[in-house]
Amino acid sequence: MRYLLRRLLLVPVPLIFVIAFVFVVLRLTGDPVAIYLGLDATPEQEAVLRAELHLDEPVVVQFGYFLADLAQGDFGTSIQFKRAAMEVVMERLGATLQLLTLGLAFAILLGIPAGVACAVWKDKLPDFALSVLAVIGQSMPSFWLGILLIQLFALDLGWLPTSGRGGLEHLVLPTVTLATFLIPNFILVTRVSVLETMREQFVVTARARGAGAARALWRHVLPNAINPVVSLIGLQLGRLMGGAVITETIFAWPGVGRLMVSAIFQRDVPIVIASVFIVAVTIILANLLVDLVQAAIDPRIRLR
Amino acid sequence: MKRFLMAIGAMALTVTAGIGASLAQTPKDTLVIGAAVFSDSISPAAGGYLTLSFVYQTWEPLVARDADDKLVPALAERWEAVEPTKWRFHLRRGVKWHDGTPFTAADVKFTIDYVTNPQTVYARKSRIAGVVGTDIVDDHTVEIRTATPSALLARGLADIAIEQKASTEKLGIKEAHRKPIGTGPWKYVEWIAGDRYDLTANPDYWGGPPAMKNLRLRSLPEGATRVASLVAGETHIIEEVPVDLLPSIEKRRNLKIDAVESSVSLVLSFDVRKPPFNDVRVRQAMDYAIDKKTMLQQMLGGYGSVLDGQLVTRSTFGYNPNIKARPFDRAKAKALLAEAGYAKGFDTKINTMQGRYLSDVDIANAAAGMMTEAGARTTVNVLEGAVWAQLDRARDQGPIYQVGWFSVGDADFNTVWYTDGSKRNYWSNAEFNKLWEEARSTLDEGARLKAYNRMMEIMHEEVPSIFLFGLPRISGRSASVQGWQPSRDSLLRLHKVSVK
Repeated sequence: MRYLLRRLLLVPVPLIFVIAFVFVVLRLTGDPVAIYLGLDATPEQEAVLRAELHLDEPVVVQFGYFLADLAQGDFGTSIQFKRAAMEVVMERLGATLQLLTLGLAFAILLGIPAGVACAVWKDKLPDFALSVLAVIGQSMPSFWLGILLIQLFALDLGWLPTSGRGGLEHLVLPTVTLATFLIPNFILVTRVSVLETMREQFVVTARARGAGAARALWRHVLPNAINPVVSLIGLQLGRLMGGAVITETIFAWPGVGRLMVSAIFQRDVPIVIASVFIVAVTIILANLLVDLVQAAIDPRIRLR
Repeated sequence: MKRFLMAIGAMALTVTAGIGASLAQTPKDTLVIGAAVFSDSISPAAGGYLTLSFVYQTWEPLVARDADDKLVPALAERWEAVEPTKWRFHLRRGVKWHDGTPFTAADVKFTIDYVTNPQTVYARKSRIAGVVGTDIVDDHTVEIRTATPSALLARGLADIAIEQKASTEKLGIKEAHRKPIGTGPWKYVEWIAGDRYDLTANPDYWGGPPAMKNLRLRSLPEGATRVASLVAGETHIIEEVPVDLLPSIEKRRNLKIDAVESSVSLVLSFDVRKPPFNDVRVRQAMDYAIDKKTMLQQMLGGYGSVLDGQLVTRSTFGYNPNIKARPFDRAKAKALLAEAGYAKGFDTKINTMQGRYLSDVDIANAAAGMMTEAGARTTVNVLEGAVWAQLDRARDQGPIYQVGWFSVGDADFNTVWYTDGSKRNYWSNAEFNKLWEEARSTLDEGARLKAYNRMMEIMHEEVPSIFLFGLPRISGRSASVQGWQPSRDSLLRLHKVSVK
């Protein structure tokens, strides 16, 4: 409990770094005044906006002002939508979280057993077939896969809708696309981890003492092999978000990823920062969860 | 291990439970549209031009444009200038707001006053920038005063939605814009950011109830997905079919393509301040070097049109029927270059954005290839929007840059970008500037037309830009859809559309 509290207290540290980075990069790559006001602004309008956004002061000072607003929960007003940026982002968050969680769950449920199968039947047909599939999955661009899936399941077979968010049937294709992007990693990491554990002394001993292959695998190998795979989940979250941007675009999924990318092009800084903030919070909290799960699985990991 | 599996299971269950709640079955008798650009706002005050496509489902202007960019009566039945700086609008009688209360002159005055208030942030404010006041004559008559004579007031008003005084004052603008109460053919049901906008027919609409009971506008930003949704029968009409996907619709009997020339003129503009394009012969040579007809076939699928050697499209007020495009003539281009002292050619580049206009990068590449063949070794430079905005501001857009100017039916709106005050062009011509000012401040339509015709001649000779194409709007629809026509101004007009 004390551990959890301490970790939660540390959450703002990486957040501030992420926000600072985005803030500086956006300021460096485009003058917001040029984008917000366009060419027809009068010098007075320009001066007003510069003062309002504190653009006449050094970047560090600008960032200070920005953090002060942030501390009050104010992410600013979206340039395009003329509404509170955080409000716009929160409207989209549910859709993205749904897609991410389901995609990740799907990848775990398929990827880990497949990885175990590869290890158990090492150098035999299942290992070969699954490894080849993993390599294909890894090298196939999500964009292309998504369009192929639409072609097959929505157009040729007519089983599923092409796009949009709605009932269960709308979730299938985006989830599969996103999961395909992740499964190969889970297969390959699980395979290596299980193989390594199988060579450990305690496994050999267990077998020597008469434990069957299945019992050895379930009781001795898997609990020890699973930890590297769980850490992988934490590491994959960033990539997953990248995959979500593409998946959301192809399947017209109303999520944060698409919103963020279009906001970057429009230099709608408040929206970009609010969405990066939310995504960062999600990833940080999910990683915290991963740590807790790891500790629960492996008593050697002490949470201090 | 067990605990781990349980955690995963719990996670999957939570997600699945969450899904059950949200249902998106399309209600019966619903017209479904696949929108290419889905505005993140339904407020008349916010968002880009295309927000109007949403706004005008529920709200209406005093004077509207029709699908051909002609002005037609909307909330005003007729209008006339009572003085050069005062226009009188006679409002339609018997119009009701969606809440059942009558529409009156007070609503018009309220809207115009708040739009023109310097404190108000309103996206299309500049459309009626010259307005200095509004007076209520009686319940069904208003007079709008302008600072200087304004022939374009009615056209400008076509982009201003008239809002209800009572509800806006009661709820505040922000809240009132969230759930529109308008006078338009469709009533608000639900708007889900980035996903869909649901509306239902207004049975009391003054123009008669819509042909369909419900309307759903869906966000489908990706071209291939949009086409797939039409093929699968999920949408009845889709906006903007990508040119490379045209065949997949054309080959199906149950689907149709509808195209219209928009009022967006795609041009390649020159920086005439610097060599080699400070020499008019070089600019004319580039015009001769480009085979626009072939490009129209290849890059735009034969839809849209080649501009007739002038900025405006044929349907725009101000079009000069006596000007024709320079023909494709590579020999002549080379001769002109030699005459200007560039027998050995030169190196230059075209700046363009990507995805801003239909086939923009493809068109720039093809033009660059043809210019290179004629001796001007041209490369293409694709820029991101924010970088483009900075170059615009620095007034250094490079030797050639590709841009689309839209007129919404009147030459005033796009010739302005070639005047000295516009900051959008490096070319300057005293006669052109003078004609533009004159045309805008007379109410005599004949005199305006004459002025624009002369301006087109000047531009044709001077070639500040190569006038390429009137870009098409290409939409796809199911063959069972009737009464649909894509609009030149790209707004969705769906009141009379039905599905068999």
